[in-house]
Amino acid sequence: MAAIRKSGGVVAFFWDGKIADPRDQAFCDAMANRRFRTIENAASEEISAGWVTALDPTGDSFGLEDLDGGAGTWLRFRIDKKKLPMKWLQIHRDAAEKSRGKKLSARERRELKDDLMDKLLPRVLPSVQLVDALLFFDKKTVLLFATSKSAREVFGKLFLESFGVPLERANPLQSGLRVGLDEATKYELERAEPVRWPQAEKAGELARAARSKAVDPTDADVAEADA
Amino acid sequence: MTQQTDTGADTHGFLGEEFLTWLWFRWETEGGDFTLPGGRLVGVALDDFLLFAAKSEDETEQTLRRGLPTRTAEARTALRQGHRLRKARLLVAEGSRQWSATLDATTLTLGGVKLPEDAEECESDVDRTADRSANWLALHEIVQGLYGQFLRERLRADYKKSGAEKQARWMAG
Repeated sequence: MAAIRKSGGVVAFFWDGKIADPRDQAFCDAMANRRFRTIENAASEEISAGWVTALDPTGDSFGLEDLDGGAGTWLRFRIDKKKLPMKWLQIHRDAAEKSRGKKLSARERRELKDDLMDKLLPRVLPSVQLVDALLFFDKKTVLLFATSKSAREVFGKLFLESFGVPLERANPLQSGLRVGLDEATKYELERAEPVRWPQAEKAGELARAARSKAVDPTDADVAEADA
Repeated sequence: MTQQTDTGADTHGFLGEEFLTWLWFRWETEGGDFTLPGGRLVGVALDDFLLFAAKSEDETEQTLRRGLPTRTAEARTALRQGHRLRKARLLVAEGSRQWSATLDATTLTLGGVKLPEDAEECESDVDRTADRSANWLALHEIVQGLYGQFLRERLRADYKKSGAEKQARWMAG
């Protein structure tokens, strides 16, 4: 087993409510219920996502010791995607049109595609993506080591289905509600409005005015902007 | 289907931008040392990447890379015109540990993070995982701590007459 990553992007999530303790077997059981299931031999295009561990990328086993991430609990999920390469479809369509001497109709193209999917997809290997996360149980925080929208969504869905609580992605509001502010300050946070910097605004207005008159600048304009 | 909600980035993204701009202000005017809850001493500096937010949909974002972008005339002009920072590469230090990361202010996402070197006593992958795990958590807690400190100042009733006025002078200067 390699060590957890030491660089890259990270997105923080928080949860409220109670989830199984990662030191208990119930936590492993919850992951096992949404374990990764292979689509290696599937005959249709599909995506499969589920939990695995750093020790076992198949999703067949979940042991408490496999989740040891030092200060946190090391979660890993796997996303496999099976897709017929479009180039193959194009090659077969071109060959069919060449032998017929004319273009295929829409229905014929669809039938050719379905036929090829049935024949070729069982032979296509899915792409594999392994994504890690560190869960800090006492802090109700989990750090996901992927920033793409698709990985975030899969993770949120898996977490909810496994542990029964939704995740809140960190952002200036959600993070602010979790930095130990008192209730009155939280109230202010929820209603905060952007600061309008008075001097900076003035400078900005002058600059914009200068730009709008920049087609034929006069000495007076320059003097105004300098002021 | 997703159960995540991200409305806070839309409604409060400006606070993240104000936070990043405040870090710059504090770094330039007070040296970038912060005492976080629990007496934790950390240092923060802006590094070689700045992205200024557009003030409206039809205005241009401005990116400054390499060298010392905070010292450039373009950066000063952007501040003078009231632009907030949307992204910046930060250097964060605590004791002998140093992290670098690009903070996306509107979502508080950290990109391109580099953790401190693994501790010398790490002899196995298990040791390295434990060490890195602690460093990931520490970075998250530092950013949370800094953001908390910013919010306590920013949300005070007298902020506009105190901190905001000082920062406005710095931005216009």
